[in-house]
Amino acid sequence: MIYLDNNATTRVAPEVFEAMRPYLTETYGNPSSAHSLGQRMKSAVERAREQVAELIGAAEISEIVFTSCGSESDNWAIGGFLEQNPTRRHIITTRVEHEAVRNLCTHLAEIGCEVTWLDVNESGQLDLDDLRRVLRRETGIVSVMLANNETGVLFPIEEVGKIVRQNSDAVFHVDGVQAVGKIPINLKELEVDLFALSGHKLHAPQGIGALYIRSGVKLPPFIIGGGQEQGRRAGTSAVPNIVALGAACELARNFDEHERIEGLRDKLEDEILERIPNARLNGPSDRNRRLPNTSNISFEYVEGENILLHLDQAGICVSTGSACHSTTKESSPTLRAMNVPYTAAQGSIRFSLGRYNTEQEIDYTLEVLPGIISKLVEMSPYDKELQALSMRQR
Amino acid sequence: MSEFPDNVGVNQRATFGPWHCFWNTCMQDNQPPLTELFFNPKNVGEARHPSFIGRAASFQCGATLRISLHINDSQRIVEAKFKAAGCSVLVASTSLLTEQVLGKTTGEAAALGQTVRLIEAQLGPVETARTDCPGLACEALVAAIREYSDAIRDSWEGDQALICTCFGVSERRIEQEIHEHHLTTVAEVTRACNAGAGCRSCYPLIEDILDDCQRGKW
Repeated sequence: MIYLDNNATTRVAPEVFEAMRPYLTETYGNPSSAHSLGQRMKSAVERAREQVAELIGAAEISEIVFTSCGSESDNWAIGGFLEQNPTRRHIITTRVEHEAVRNLCTHLAEIGCEVTWLDVNESGQLDLDDLRRVLRRETGIVSVMLANNETGVLFPIEEVGKIVRQNSDAVFHVDGVQAVGKIPINLKELEVDLFALSGHKLHAPQGIGALYIRSGVKLPPFIIGGGQEQGRRAGTSAVPNIVALGAACELARNFDEHERIEGLRDKLEDEILERIPNARLNGPSDRNRRLPNTSNISFEYVEGENILLHLDQAGICVSTGSACHSTTKESSPTLRAMNVPYTAAQGSIRFSLGRYNTEQEIDYTLEVLPGIISKLVEMSPYDKELQALSMRQR
Repeated sequence: MSEFPDNVGVNQRATFGPWHCFWNTCMQDNQPPLTELFFNPKNVGEARHPSFIGRAASFQCGATLRISLHINDSQRIVEAKFKAAGCSVLVASTSLLTEQVLGKTTGEAAALGQTVRLIEAQLGPVETARTDCPGLACEALVAAIREYSDAIRDSWEGDQALICTCFGVSERRIEQEIHEHHLTTVAEVTRACNAGAGCRSCYPLIEDILDDCQRGKW
């Protein structure tokens, strides 16, 4: 199986599994217990907290709180802030956030919050003047993702943070789920108050996430119960998962093959765009403005789900932004916000690479993809448009 | 690399043990025509000229579809082809539908196109979000047949009375069929020459012709 869907989830790394294995087998105990078994578990949790803090450059280890997933972290950050500050109901976010933020903000707008949605341009980038215009002194929270899950577009968090600090008293939340482990992050140098991350995007298992809470930022507990996580997030600590997240963070920090993955992505992207007439890139052609592992490419006038199924049959896993493959019958809101024409959004495929991909896998993908696309082009009722495209290509 | 790993576990289970029958049935059920039809669709392309074309598009998901039919002088569909930009269910449905209208009269095909459930039943289970897709295939088929009927009507010349305007069947043609084949019911007339296969508003007229014929002309 060739797995080119690493933005959806990643395979648990063997090193990570080995680190968590003892906590699933011989070692047990509740880290809240005072006896030695419990204390051993507690120190494992604290070691993991250090590893996470180190990867994202948190100033203090205690700024890391473990959660169950990225969505919980996002929900807690925004929901917790509003619970703490019920009168500061102006939220600023973008139209291309992950559902965990986007759908939460849509819901908050329905129940009385004022949400300002920042638009993106055709290559998926923010206009910071828009932010300056809408930011008010009393704005409560600004939530902007670091890397887009569908296109890999990177938002200038450093500048956004400065603008937020200079012009408002707002809290700045960053959804960093898709970026952690893929690009260097140093929160010490950023004006970020809250930062969400998720384990399964960087080779830890599903079911573990974390929220970075800058010291001094008050956030009421999202789950109320026992005093775990210094009373900030109740619920017995999921020690094996926490240990796994710590190990995954350390693995990511020591990973030195980013350039190799980027090279494979570049090769895949370049050759597809060169060899397939109806292929177009979604996102900026300047690759420095995107994650090094992601390519979102539309194959115009054909259906993304069909491409996905044919690739799947050839043993290659990808994602699509097509309406047919989502539960909503709508094509990707991210691509729509970028004004990608409907006929292109329907044929969008996201290739997201990871540490286990090899050059042979990319070569094989490049071998089978053109045939699949031409088969679907033959089937497409948009013959005139497709003909015009291939003429232009020549 | 190009092939799925064999599902050895399931195959082994199918050969022995008390679950033998269950697994066999399950395996067949799990391989509905849908998958096969999607990967190897029949009738992709354009019917030869002159062809009649029907289009359909979904306002919900944006799928588009075009069916083209080549119809011979005795109103039978001799070629049915399609082009689609839509999901796997749409491709499979249209493949199935175009296969089934081959050799049928335009009237019979129109009837099939109006009974979506016949196609649905053959596809096997379809997730609820996709239940509109077979309907889209039927819509395009009916549109193509309508184009054919319109063309027949537009090109209608001569002094004979046109009884079935849906399929352009004249009074004389109906009388001929009744005489030659000793027809006695409207259903038989429809089967023979398509008259009455569309909107059915000519049923009373066909009945009158049948009465006249029976009363004395033969």
